[in-house]
Amino acid sequence: MPHRLTRSLQGLILLGLCIFFASKAINGQLTWYINARFIPLTLFGILFLAILAQTVFAEVRRSRAEDDEHEHHHEHQHSPIGLWVMLIPLLIGVLIPPRPLDSSAFTSKGLNTNAPLVSAESSAQLFETESEERNILDWLKLFNYNSDVAQFSGQQASVIGFVYFDEALGENQFYVSRFVVSCCAADGFAIAMPVQWNDLTSLEQDSWVQVKGTIEAVVIDDRNVPLIVAESVQEVPVPERPYLFP
Amino acid sequence: MQNTTSPTRPSKNLIIIIAVAVLIITASSMIPATFFSWLADRLNVFATVFLGIFVEAVPYLLLGTLASGLVEVFLDRDQIARWVSKRPVAASVSGSLMGIIFPVCECGVVPLTRRLFKKGLPLSAGISFLLAAPVLNPIVLFSTASAFGWADMLFWRFFLSFIIAVTVGLVFSIEKDSSNVLQTVLDSHEHTHSYKDLSVIEKIRQAFLITVDEFFDMGRYLVLGTTLAAALQTFISQSTLLAIGSGPILSVLVMLTLAVLLSICSTVDSFVALGFVGTFSFGSILSFLVFGPMVDIKSVMMYTQVFKRRAVFYIVAIPLMMSMLAGLLFNYLGK
Repeated sequence: MPHRLTRSLQGLILLGLCIFFASKAINGQLTWYINARFIPLTLFGILFLAILAQTVFAEVRRSRAEDDEHEHHHEHQHSPIGLWVMLIPLLIGVLIPPRPLDSSAFTSKGLNTNAPLVSAESSAQLFETESEERNILDWLKLFNYNSDVAQFSGQQASVIGFVYFDEALGENQFYVSRFVVSCCAADGFAIAMPVQWNDLTSLEQDSWVQVKGTIEAVVIDDRNVPLIVAESVQEVPVPERPYLFP
Repeated sequence: MQNTTSPTRPSKNLIIIIAVAVLIITASSMIPATFFSWLADRLNVFATVFLGIFVEAVPYLLLGTLASGLVEVFLDRDQIARWVSKRPVAASVSGSLMGIIFPVCECGVVPLTRRLFKKGLPLSAGISFLLAAPVLNPIVLFSTASAFGWADMLFWRFFLSFIIAVTVGLVFSIEKDSSNVLQTVLDSHEHTHSYKDLSVIEKIRQAFLITVDEFFDMGRYLVLGTTLAAALQTFISQSTLLAIGSGPILSVLVMLTLAVLLSICSTVDSFVALGFVGTFSFGSILSFLVFGPMVDIKSVMMYTQVFKRRAVFYIVAIPLMMSMLAGLLFNYLGK
């Protein structure tokens, strides 16, 4: 059995991880890191970490009680490096202010105006959703899986995303963008719709906005892309779930 | 351990620290302010990607280490000897199919395999298990089916994973002396505890303590691998990688690289792979789905805890060759 000090440290780190995950679960920031469908798994993790921490602390108390009775025997030294390494996630989590993926990730993750993901069947259902209910991913899917995109022109759109200014776009245009995460932030990639809006100066890079307007099918880089001719662009707080989960 | 501390050393260190501090301060005053905002941005992406992989992986690692603890306490060597044949082919095949009983992903499979080796599992069975279990298990069956349907992709993914795992297992069956392959701590001749006389509650308590030790043992490699994967993702542009990824050969190479870089869990990687349908060929996505669960940055880090370096090389290289070959064949034979 490992040294008692090692055990105590193990218990503290397990407890630390448990509290860290639990705080993320409570303040809703788990969805900044993983797809919401895996939250139950994390909740199991929190519970099990607490049980393990409790088991370890009980073991420490027990070995201390045993020590009082008789002199102690040999103790294998457990490499303490393993313990300190497990502090890295806690340090990263606590010291670096949390922020969901935004345009600063574009340099490594890129920006897409097409949505090559998800099975084809889900695009069919999209025709039945109200056009104002569709999110950025839904619009891109519709434009991806249909050759006749003119039918969408003139439909009302209302989407939420963050602002991204791209010099490649025309005058008075910006992207309203969103990250799509299937598993965790590691596989996240950004998708975007161009927006036509006259008052760009009032907008800030990475600020969250709700864009309302009508759809117009345009061609960018030989691809059919839904552009929103905006009637209103309103600043909104960061949504509870900043990523879209396909 | 160095216990000879010379009295001059602390002051020397102090001078070095001051010199470095002065250097950093002067250097930083010359660096434009945009550099720092760039660095802060990179750091944020790094932290988010790191925590993404870590938060996702910890529950699976916990499940794997728990399985390992339960195996240690509740299974004894005779039972394993009875179940698993020592003949190479039978051992590799049964090892490959053991994932059906132990549904673990690539984070969880390593501690469990290590434990099974300690319990006397034959080498080839353990290696086949290690490579196959992250795919050949019910959870991945359903996640792959829900992403790709009960179709070709599912069949070929499972079939190829099975073939590769059996092949690598057979290669290792040539080695009769497992101490040439396994890290010395695993030499199964060490004395084993007997848990037979303990009550069930006491057994579970022991299993939990083993779980904790394994969690820390394996967790540090998970953390190091995740750090590396997140750093690479922060600084290597995924979009350029994808942009060069056309053509029958390059597409396979890019998807194999991506499988290693992304280091995502095998239980969910099919949803990620789905994102590449349309941009990438059937063969290249298949090689991603076959190779990714066997080898990625964090799992290789963990392998070094179980195997000697030369063995890790073969465990990485053979699946790499075979999944690359499979991807190329599909690309050229049309699919």
